[in-house]
Amino acid sequence: MKTYSYKKSQELFKKAAEIIPCGIYGHFSPAPLIPVSAYPFYVSKAQDAHFWDLDGNKFIDYMCAYGPVILGYNNPVVESAAEMQRELVNCATAPGEIMVNLAEELVNTVTIADWAFFAKNGNDATTFSLMVARAKTGRKKIIRLRGGYHGVAPWTQSPDHPGIIFEDAENMLIGEWNNYEVLEEFVKRNPDQIAGIIATPYHHPTFEDNEMPAEGYWKKVEDLCHKEGIVLIVDDVRTGFRIDVRGSNEYFGFKPDLIAFCKAIGNGYPISALVGTNEMKEAASKVFYTGSYWFSAVPMAAALATIQEINENDVPAMLVEKGEKLTKGLQEVAQNNGFHLKVTGHPSMPYLRLTDDPSLMLHQEWCGECTKRGAYFTSHHNWFISAALTEEDIQKTLEIADDAFKAVKKNHKH
Amino acid sequence: MSVQRIKAGINLYAVLKNLEDLVAFDKEAAGLVKGRKICIQFSVKNGPKAWAKFDNELCSVGRGKAAKSHVHLWFSSCEHLNKMFDGKANPIPLKGFTKLGFLQKEFTQLTKRLEYFLRPENVENPDEHYIQMNTRFTLTIAAYALPEIALYDERAKYTASHLPDGTLQMGVLPDGPDVYLSIKNGKITAGKGKVSHPDAMMIMKNARVANEFLNGKSDPFTAIALGDVLIKGQIPILDGVNLILDRVIHYVS
Repeated sequence: MKTYSYKKSQELFKKAAEIIPCGIYGHFSPAPLIPVSAYPFYVSKAQDAHFWDLDGNKFIDYMCAYGPVILGYNNPVVESAAEMQRELVNCATAPGEIMVNLAEELVNTVTIADWAFFAKNGNDATTFSLMVARAKTGRKKIIRLRGGYHGVAPWTQSPDHPGIIFEDAENMLIGEWNNYEVLEEFVKRNPDQIAGIIATPYHHPTFEDNEMPAEGYWKKVEDLCHKEGIVLIVDDVRTGFRIDVRGSNEYFGFKPDLIAFCKAIGNGYPISALVGTNEMKEAASKVFYTGSYWFSAVPMAAALATIQEINENDVPAMLVEKGEKLTKGLQEVAQNNGFHLKVTGHPSMPYLRLTDDPSLMLHQEWCGECTKRGAYFTSHHNWFISAALTEEDIQKTLEIADDAFKAVKKNHKH
Repeated sequence: MSVQRIKAGINLYAVLKNLEDLVAFDKEAAGLVKGRKICIQFSVKNGPKAWAKFDNELCSVGRGKAAKSHVHLWFSSCEHLNKMFDGKANPIPLKGFTKLGFLQKEFTQLTKRLEYFLRPENVENPDEHYIQMNTRFTLTIAAYALPEIALYDERAKYTASHLPDGTLQMGVLPDGPDVYLSIKNGKITAGKGKVSHPDAMMIMKNARVANEFLNGKSDPFTAIALGDVLIKGQIPILDGVNLILDRVIHYVS
């Protein structure tokens, strides 16, 4: 099978590195794409479940822009809703009517939502959720879990990272996923001091197998929060609308007070939301929190169309079917080549790992070989399944995976 | 813990460690200790201890107290030791007055030779040998300074306590040098050479890249994306080590 090269990507990156810190920064940094030589750095165009890089290479995209593009690139319904709104107004002196329509859609769709608040990024929504929890309770401390990603604000980061100081983490208590006893201990040791607990509905850290909640875990956490007056916050930024349109908490059988959404709600348009119960509404009203583009109408129109499309087509069920077909197929291909591929997480955003080498080097090599053949696989992060992924795409991916396994075997023959 | 204590640990356990390779890979240095059999003990009051042993053209440097030393150099404080390393103070010899000649002549020449290789800014048009030696020493200092910094620097201590267990191989292409770091329960130990099954690898494309990278003159994300630094394996180990590496330049002048 022909493998790709990335001359133009690499040349542009050299220029970028001169004038942009890191060349490409943040979660798009090529650094965790191992080996970097196997990956394109820049995209030139995208359609459905595919993107093309600067060198003209075409990829079946299993990252969906790290989550947002749930319905596929250039989804006609979403694009037409956005275009219609753009013709009317986008960023103006007052919000558009669309803001209320979108809030209504979210309130009608998400079970716990009595209200919705809009921003741009997941980090805006998660940070606002902490402020609301503190405003509601008058308490300082927040519990988050090790390996849980909630954005890039100082409170979300490890205090030893550049630009972060220990004081930024002063009121953060770090628990462990599925360890209820640690949460209970925190509550016991900090009576009337804990404002909120924030966590993803299931554990999806990077470089690690993903983990579902243990039986009864969430219910116990919910009960603890109710008993102690702690605000329960779900970070549904990555998982939201992929697992359950009513909120991922419904899938796992519990009810939080606040849910942060982003990524999938806009199919690539910049928008995030915090939704909450009536109990939280007054506190949310008291917190002053805003941004220059938070009222832009085009992303709101796109989000409204996206949510309606997800609802009408039962996209979560579609993603499960596609995700399971893909991952089962990949496991079979791995087995036929003498490898063992472990799949964890939800089928709509699976995390895969070759267990034949705990150092991950073999897995990184295989993901790189797949990418060079046109199936864009990252080795450090869960993947995202697109509703636009076709049967043909999956079959092509399995062929690529097979050829990549053979290349890996050949590389290790000596 | 004071900056002086961290610097003293780095001087004794990382900078002094380079005498081993200086004697092994530099003919001029080897000539200085030819036929010599001598062990020097360095002790800092309430601080680190190390020894340097010369056996003909071989040198070994170790932590703690030597089994048998011929010369004992004492320092009243970490600051005293650090000043000596900066050429601004003299040690207090407690033992081995008959060997003072070696200390004043050959050993001083040896440390000057080491300093020469550690200060590329003073060398115009360095040759291949110089670049090789400088790279070797820079890598050794980085690797052996890390455990010291991880023990006493507040930020690095936090990072080390969250590091996953495993071994990180660091090296320079095409032919080395290579060092490794073993991490167990937040404790870091350094070693020279290659390990057979590292959990993570950080390989620098050449000596120039290694120098810039290890001296904090290049951004790791950019260097990796450009293919100057190749990484693979358990990246969380590398992430943590890089955070500690960032602290090295605060202590090494």
